[in-house]
Amino acid sequence: MTPRRWTALGVVLLALGWALGAEAVSISHGVEENHFLDFATGASFFLGGAIALDRRPGNRLGPLMVLNGLSWFCGNYLNVRSGWTQPWLHIVQAAQTGLLAHLVMAYPSGRLSTRFERLVCAAAYVVPMGAMGLSLLTQDTSRCADCPPVPAAYPDFPHAVLAHRFFLVYDRSAWVLVTLFFVVLWLRWRRSTAAARHDLAPLWAVAVLLVAVYGLAPFASEEQNGFGYLIWELGAVLQIAVPWVFVYGLLSTRLAQSAIGGLVVDLQSPVAPGQLRALLARTLADPGVVVAYPMGDGRWVDADGRPVEPDPPDGDRRTTLVEREGRPLVALVHDPALDPDLVRASAAAAGMALDNERLHAELRAQLKEVRASRERIVLAGDAERRRVERDLHDGAQQRLLALSLALRTARRQLRDGEQSLVADTLERTGQELTSAIDELRELARGIHPTVLTDAGLGPAVAMIAGRVPVPVEVAVGDERYPPAVEATAYFVVSEALANVTKHAHATHAGVTIARVGGHLHVEVCDDGRGGADPGCGSGLSGLTDRVLAVGGTLGVESGPGTGTVVRANLPCRVRP
Amino acid sequence: MDDHAGFRSWAREVLAHEGFDVVGEAEDGRTAIRLVEELRPEVVLLDIQLPDQDGFAVARLIGDGSDVVLTSGRAPEDYGRRLAESGHAFVRKDDLNGPSLEAVLGARG
Repeated sequence: MTPRRWTALGVVLLALGWALGAEAVSISHGVEENHFLDFATGASFFLGGAIALDRRPGNRLGPLMVLNGLSWFCGNYLNVRSGWTQPWLHIVQAAQTGLLAHLVMAYPSGRLSTRFERLVCAAAYVVPMGAMGLSLLTQDTSRCADCPPVPAAYPDFPHAVLAHRFFLVYDRSAWVLVTLFFVVLWLRWRRSTAAARHDLAPLWAVAVLLVAVYGLAPFASEEQNGFGYLIWELGAVLQIAVPWVFVYGLLSTRLAQSAIGGLVVDLQSPVAPGQLRALLARTLADPGVVVAYPMGDGRWVDADGRPVEPDPPDGDRRTTLVEREGRPLVALVHDPALDPDLVRASAAAAGMALDNERLHAELRAQLKEVRASRERIVLAGDAERRRVERDLHDGAQQRLLALSLALRTARRQLRDGEQSLVADTLERTGQELTSAIDELRELARGIHPTVLTDAGLGPAVAMIAGRVPVPVEVAVGDERYPPAVEATAYFVVSEALANVTKHAHATHAGVTIARVGGHLHVEVCDDGRGGADPGCGSGLSGLTDRVLAVGGTLGVESGPGTGTVVRANLPCRVRP
Repeated sequence: MDDHAGFRSWAREVLAHEGFDVVGEAEDGRTAIRLVEELRPEVVLLDIQLPDQDGFAVARLIGDGSDVVLTSGRAPEDYGRRLAESGHAFVRKDDLNGPSLEAVLGARG
């Protein structure tokens, strides 16, 4: 059970207690009425409210129905006539007019849509509750048999005159309220489309029911026989039906889709990036809805391009995948209680906006990736400079320092007349110098291979292939390409062959470079043990950044035991 | 001590002819500390760039019995305040000879 369902169950149990308690009070005080019908009317508001809370969370009709039920039973508790609870029970009971008007006017979205509606609704609450409040403050308990035994707050108030005038106003305002209520309904009808009018049918059923109940009231009688009793029972049954009409309306998909009508209207004005999720959350009445966009490479991102998980591991959420022309458009992670058709219909209604936002999300994710890769390129550049400095310091510089000491020794030997030793010293000096020159040459080649600049990819690749301890089959043409493309291809081959030497345990390797269309395809394969991971180790991820920087793509296939294939695809044109 | 064997052998030759008694050589910090304890030399020539740990750390582990002179192929300003804070004398490797060594040791008293 989800926490929401527990809440709904709790509401049902509390409400049942409140309703049974109310009937117990009525029976114990000898109130003559049909207790079953009274119980059924209030309880049907509670039950309808609980169902609405469970199935349409976020829609205010559920709480409104529950409050209606609460208010319904206040009359029963008034029979207790004790203590300070009495005024409050009167006030809550007086709220029933407002609650019922609110329920009808807010159907089916749960929201009042115009200022006029809000005004009428507020009046429906304030006028009866205010009238009750004032009468409680000013009543003369000595002249009123039914008055609660609570002293009026202002007993010296000129109550008789005021109360009379006030009830005149209230009496007339009741008619004004009813008229305004029907004006609201009529205005809603007038501005609705044909489909929306169809959706409002249950509302009219409720309005007719309410008119019937209150219109027939003067003819009703609780005497257990004759026409009056029939009318009274009919009225009670009609009132029981009110919440069920609302529940039917809320649960029928067609009406749930009327919320989609609101979404379509909202989408007619430009939607700010990221706002679409909020609109869908409101339409589906699921504040936690997640909108995930496919990136095309198996990753999913939200509207801001942040990675999201479209398959939640817990059963509290469900994922609905929406496709367009066979391609995934969006994944909606939502409350499992939601009707899948409603979710799909919402996504369909928001199709264009979703597509738009998907492109935005893709762009943002790419921008994030570009920023990250730019940072990695800068870091890799710094690391490379540190490596060159260290290589220079530890290699050639040490040899040159030794040379300076060697030459100083030779000078001393000459000065001391040790001629025989000088030749040996100079011989060793020459060896040290040759080593220093070799080291500098290797270092320079590592920074940028001259053969690549002078002779192109073919000879450059042949040179690095020649240093790999296993046979390497090289298939590279003589064409020249733009320097950035040649350098990138060279470093892809160089890094991939270095991995063959260091990790692959291969017996053969192959390098193929060919231009197909506007792209240079570079492929390095081996028959080694495989298992290379492009995400781990800076070598391959550094290569990916390098390849992306020239607008290319890098792929690595390396299953365990099946060898490794590194493929780079670089956009290029032939250099004349 | 220095991890470059070629440099060590030339340094030994230069210093030996300039009146120094070269009692031992080491190629890393660990060996250096062990040899200093065994041989108790008056002066330890210590390269700052060693393969296992840096010369400053090795200098701290060498007791007060020996004067430590730090050496490097880099210029002293490359080490910023670390060199001054270490309290040890410094000789650039290309300037390594008897008189320069005596000068820095003399300066320290």
